[in-house]
Amino acid sequence: MIEFAIDESARRKIEATRELGEKEFRPAGLEADRNGAPIPVGHAFFDRCIERGEGRTRWRGLNPSPGDASKPQSLVTTALQAEELAYWDRGVINSTPGPGLPEGNVLAMGTDEQKEKYLGPFLEPDRPRWACFAMTEPSAGSDAAAIKTTARKDGEGWILNGAKCFIGGASRADWILVQATLDASKGREAQRAFFVEQGTEGLGGFKIERKMGLKAYESTSFTLDDVRVPAENLLGGEARYERKAGFKAALQTFNAGRPIIGANAVGMARAALDEAIRFARDHDLLKRDRVRDRIETMARKVRKSRFICLRAVWLADQQRTNIVEASMAKAMAAQIAQEATALGLELVGSVGGRGDHLIEKLYRDVKAMDIVEGTGQIQRMIIARKLVGLPR
Amino acid sequence: MFDLNADDELGLVVDTARKLAEEVLVPQLRDAESARAVAPGLLDAWDEVGLAGLELPQSLDGAELGCVARVLVNEELAAGDAGAAIALDPYGPALTTLLEVGGVDAAGELVRVLGHGRKRAVLVVDEDAEIELAGDLLTIDAPWVMADEVGAVVVLAGDEALLVTEGWLLEPVRGAGMRAAGAARLIAKEAPIAARWSSRDGASRARARARLYYASLLLGVMRAACDFSTSYAQEREAFGKKIGHHQALAFLITDMQMALDGARLVVQEAAWRVDRGLPCAGEAASAWAECIEVSRLVGPNGVQILGGHGFMADYPVEKHMRESRALGLLCGGFDAAIEEAGHVLVRSDTPLALGVEGAL
Repeated sequence: MIEFAIDESARRKIEATRELGEKEFRPAGLEADRNGAPIPVGHAFFDRCIERGEGRTRWRGLNPSPGDASKPQSLVTTALQAEELAYWDRGVINSTPGPGLPEGNVLAMGTDEQKEKYLGPFLEPDRPRWACFAMTEPSAGSDAAAIKTTARKDGEGWILNGAKCFIGGASRADWILVQATLDASKGREAQRAFFVEQGTEGLGGFKIERKMGLKAYESTSFTLDDVRVPAENLLGGEARYERKAGFKAALQTFNAGRPIIGANAVGMARAALDEAIRFARDHDLLKRDRVRDRIETMARKVRKSRFICLRAVWLADQQRTNIVEASMAKAMAAQIAQEATALGLELVGSVGGRGDHLIEKLYRDVKAMDIVEGTGQIQRMIIARKLVGLPR
Repeated sequence: MFDLNADDELGLVVDTARKLAEEVLVPQLRDAESARAVAPGLLDAWDEVGLAGLELPQSLDGAELGCVARVLVNEELAAGDAGAAIALDPYGPALTTLLEVGGVDAAGELVRVLGHGRKRAVLVVDEDAEIELAGDLLTIDAPWVMADEVGAVVVLAGDEALLVTEGWLLEPVRGAGMRAAGAARLIAKEAPIAARWSSRDGASRARARARLYYASLLLGVMRAACDFSTSYAQEREAFGKKIGHHQALAFLITDMQMALDGARLVVQEAAWRVDRGLPCAGEAASAWAECIEVSRLVGPNGVQILGGHGFMADYPVEKHMRESRALGLLCGGFDAAIEEAGHVLVRSDTPLALGVEGAL
């Protein structure tokens, strides 16, 4: 049955997300943007996250989280929450404590011992704790097969060398899951992920980058200089790679990350739209045709990208392949959100030039949505492979 | 909860339309264009499967399937031949205009007037024609209606729906597209208005449904353009590889498909609102504007991908380009649509807030 409604349970979750976003996320995001620095580790915002029961692992099913096959919450609801939270502040989403990005990898590939050791502290965290995943390098972003950080077998352990950049929360993470290559000439197949604990000798050179936007969370570069880790720090253990287990294959079947980024972009664009309307109303501009036309264009595109994102996660909920649709969601929503914030700025005019207007912040923040998890161009390549058989 | 699957009954209807489009309309599209009519027998066949009265109430022996069904079926048929899709529908958006403004009795009047003949009803929206009303007399000059013969004229003027059953003149015109349905200028000087109904909300919903009717035809034409040019790009070679493997075209095709998919979703959502009785005027106008905007990308680029071949009538993409542009001129076209959508939007401070009225 074709149905665009949301049920009462989803509506209540969105309402709760709205309250949280308005009360906590928006102020924290604005504060970080004014300060030009990430929310500091000791900030009360993070303590309140822990008090609310956030920042925990969903390992052992103790802290149910969206996206688990065993849980009733659909990815559609998750995407709607992602939209709503990003409406209030996208940067703050990335700043929140918890096992974060690498949790999924650990749950999917980690050994029982690794789950115990690395996710265990996130079951009942005694304080805000972070973990992070380090793939990107100065010379390898979207082309993840080209990373140069090496892993060399040394006796029973491994020695890692290289440099990583733009890694969210690296300096505050308890551990970093570092992607490295055994042989750079062999692409993704030769890549492995290693747990590197904070304080390990050779891990250093942390530099928190200065960014155009999304200032609430830290994006950090660091170096690995003869970092020695024991054999058990190889994610999944060596036996897993010998079996060539199907994590990659599973990723290729459906993708939830890209449409969620898309949904974030929708939320940010919607925030720009609402601000534009408020400004126009306050300044008695809504009677002007051109002003209404601009607002209409923004709203129309945002609605369209919302549905494109929901289609992608809905397919994933149905366990149907969504590779094309997931890439479309991200490519379209990110682009539209940029256009919407830019149009919004035109509407507020020189007020936007002062550098303290929310739409101006959104304009800076939203650019990242077209870059992270594969740029808009990468998404188009993925789509084109399916549509016209574009060779790799 | 959010679901894009049609149920079994609707799925069957859509499959029937798709099969007809693929097996009959596409092979005959140039013949139908030249003949300004679909092949004899096709109308009877369509009648027999009961799809001629898709939105007709059951009390009038129709299928009463609603607006979502209409947009799905229209897209399928128009992906074959948009002109034929119009020719196959005896009532067109004239029916939904009367249903919304005048109710079932008004729709019954239209059914009675058309009888069992083969003449169709046409809808003329005030934005597409010069209209003068003097008492119960209508003077009208509509530059383009998609019919060579007309059994009834329904006019949507302001808050009123007018049913006119006699007194018009049709001047044949070439038609920029949809020629399988015919094309004429419709003129009437002080023609008697047979019946009239008025409702502000009804007229607003009628306009929404008319826009969605044409929007779904436009989706079908655009889909045909996308599909044909995408296939072609995987066969034709230039500079040593398939033209679709040159990134300039690969990305263009990607953007065309993405734009089409987005337009389809907003049309379906607006149609869902119509069926649910939710506010739909702004959403339908917005969906119509989106389709028109996307058609300006998809139509010409369908031709562009085929290069010189695309310009020739040997391939259907030139027809898609013409027809997608012409369809987008109806119901006041893009400007009227964004005007209405914009007015609806700015009534709210947070027009796209999630969860309002249980809708997205």
